[in-house]
Amino acid sequence: MDKVGRILMVEDDQKDVELTLTALEDYNLVNEVVVVGDGEEALDYLYCRGQFKLRTGDNPAVMLLDLKLPRVDGLEVLKQVKSDDKLKLIPVVVLTSSREEQDMVASYKLGVNGYVVKPVDFHEFVNAIKELGVYWAVINEPPPGSVKK
Amino acid sequence: MASSNAQVKKVPPAVLRYILAIVSFAIALGLALLAQRLNFRNVEVPLFLFAVAVTAWYAGPLPAAVTVVLSILFFDYFFTEPLYTLYVTTSDIPYLIVFISFALLVAWFSTVRRRVEQDLRQARDHLQIIVEERTQQASLLNLTHDTIFVRDMNDVITYWNRGAEELYGWTPDEAIGKRSHDLLGTVFPAPIDDISAELLRAGRWEGELKHTKADGKGVVVSSRWALRRDEQQRPVGTMETNNDITERKRQEEEVRTLNRELASRSTELESKNKELEAFAYSISHDLRAPLRHMSGYAELLQKKASSVLDEKSQRYMLMILDSAKRMGNLIDDLLSFSRIGRTETQKSLVNLEQLVKEALTEIRQDTDGRNIVWNVSTLPTFYGDRSMLRLVFVNLLSNAVKFTRTRPQAEIEVGCTGGNTHEVVLYVKDNGVGFDMKYVNKLFGVFQRLHSSHTFEGTGIGLATVQRIVQRHGGRVWAESLVDKGATFYISVPMSQKNTEEKYG
Repeated sequence: MDKVGRILMVEDDQKDVELTLTALEDYNLVNEVVVVGDGEEALDYLYCRGQFKLRTGDNPAVMLLDLKLPRVDGLEVLKQVKSDDKLKLIPVVVLTSSREEQDMVASYKLGVNGYVVKPVDFHEFVNAIKELGVYWAVINEPPPGSVKK
Repeated sequence: MASSNAQVKKVPPAVLRYILAIVSFAIALGLALLAQRLNFRNVEVPLFLFAVAVTAWYAGPLPAAVTVVLSILFFDYFFTEPLYTLYVTTSDIPYLIVFISFALLVAWFSTVRRRVEQDLRQARDHLQIIVEERTQQASLLNLTHDTIFVRDMNDVITYWNRGAEELYGWTPDEAIGKRSHDLLGTVFPAPIDDISAELLRAGRWEGELKHTKADGKGVVVSSRWALRRDEQQRPVGTMETNNDITERKRQEEEVRTLNRELASRSTELESKNKELEAFAYSISHDLRAPLRHMSGYAELLQKKASSVLDEKSQRYMLMILDSAKRMGNLIDDLLSFSRIGRTETQKSLVNLEQLVKEALTEIRQDTDGRNIVWNVSTLPTFYGDRSMLRLVFVNLLSNAVKFTRTRPQAEIEVGCTGGNTHEVVLYVKDNGVGFDMKYVNKLFGVFQRLHSSHTFEGTGIGLATVQRIVQRHGGRVWAESLVDKGATFYISVPMSQKNTEEKYG
C-alpha cells in the first residue's frame, strides 16, 4: 500500500472530471491522475506520441474510460488497447453514465476489467470513485511495467 | 349392328341343314320332272347344280355332298338311258364325271365364298367394335375437366376435348387443323428447341406455359406433354394436358407481394426501433450527466457553505438534491419502461413463488421497520421472461407496501385464483388506502398518478410497466378497489402450450 499507481482518466466532461478529482482528493490520489479529454488523446498517451512524446514509456496502473467521447469513442479505445500486446495488460474500467445492456455486453466482449455506472446521487458517486481509485491504484497489484512511485 | 352379330353367331342346327339339302334337291327334281313332262330338254343338270349350289351356300359342304349324291342317283334313275334304272352305261360315265366335277366345283366355290363372306362380316364387326371403343374413349376424354388436345409433329391440332374448348373458348371445329402454338400464342419457359429435344429424348415434358384464350385473355397453365409413337417407334404426335393455374399463380404473386410489403414494413419497424434505441441510449448517457453534475455541485456547495447557510437555505439545497434524485429515478424508470418495448422477451420456465421471494428481497429497504403480514400462497410455474416478470412483482409489491404505509399493520396477499387450463390469474391484494374506481382507466397510463407525490412518492411509470410486460406475454391487467378499503391487482396470462405441458406433464 506504500506505492500508488498512476490513474489515466479518459473523460471529456470537465464537470465530471472536477467531481471525480474532488472525490479522489481525500485519498491523496489526485497527483497521480492523468486526465485526457478524448479517445485520440488517450491513445496518444498510451503510445507516447503527440503531446505525450516526451513521457516515460510506462503504462498506467489503471485506465478509467468513459464511453461517449469525441473523435475516438471509449469502445474504440478499449478495442485498441486490448488488441495491442504491449497495452492489453492495462486494467481498464469503464466509467459511464450508460446502464444500457448493449454497452456492457460490448465492453465485456472486448475484455474490460470493470464496468461502473456513474450514480446520479453524489454520495454514491463519490463512494464509487473512491472505491475504484483505492482498489485499482492502491490495493491491486498492477501488471509489470506500470507506473508506481 | 346387334342383329348382324346374332346372325354370324347363329349356326343352323345340323338337322335343318340336311333338311335344306333334301328340300332343295326335291325342288330341283320336281322342276326337272316337270320340265321333262313339258318336253323341255337338258334343264335337269343346271337345276340339280343349282340345288347343290344353294345347299353349299346356305348349309355347308356336307349337306351339299348329300345333294350331289341324291342328284346323281336320281339323275341316273330318271334322266339317263336306260330310264328308271340305276344302271350306268359306259357312255354315261363321262357325262356323270362332268356332272360330279361341276357339282363339286359349285359346292367348293359356294363354300369358299361363304367362308370369305363370313370372314368379311367378322372383320367388319370387329372393326365396328374397335370404332365404338375408340369413340367411347374419346368421349371419356371429353368428360374430364382437364384440357386435353393432340397435335401432330407439325403441331397441327388433331384432337381437341371439351376441357380445351371450355378453357380456351375455341370449338373442336375451330381448333382442329390449326397450329397449336399459333392458335394459343404459347409463351414457353425455355427455348422451344430444348423442349422438343427433351420431349423426343424422354417421351414427356412438363412445365408452365402462357397461353392466350379466344377472348384475348391470358392464362397460365401447368402443361404435361406425352409423345405418341407408332409401331416403328416413330414419333407421330403429342398429347398435351393443361391445367389452368392462373388463379394459383395470382395468389402466389399476391402472397409474394404481401411478403415483400411485410419485409419492408418490418425493415421500417426495425429502423424505427433503432431510432428509439438511439434515443433511449442518448437519454441514458446525456440526460443523466447534467443531473449528476447538479446534484454533485449542490452537494459540494452544501458541504462548503453549510456553516453560513440559514435553515431556509439549507432546505432549498435539500430540495435541489431531492429533485435531482427524483429526476434520476424518473429517467431510470422511463428507460426500463422503454426497454420492455424494445427488447425481445426471452422465455423460460419461471417458478413464480421463487420470483416473488426475489422481488421481496429487492424491495427490502421499503419494508424494513414496517409491520407487514405477508400471505403468499402456492403459485404455479409459468413460461415467461424471467427478468420482466420479476419487474412486475417488484412493482406490484412495492406499490402494495407503499400504499399500506398509513396502516398500523399492513396485510399483503399474493395468490392465484383458479382460472382454467387456458390462463392463470394472479393477484396482489393489500389493505392500503385504495383508490376511487372512477379513475381506474388512468391507473395503467404512463405518468398517471392517483395520489399526490407528497403523500405517496412515485414516478407514475410502475403500473404502465406492469401492463406492458403482461401484454407482451399476451395477458391483461386490471384492478379493483374501494377508497380506504385496500386494492387488488389482477394479472391474467394465457397458459401457452409449454405451460400446459408443465402442468400436466
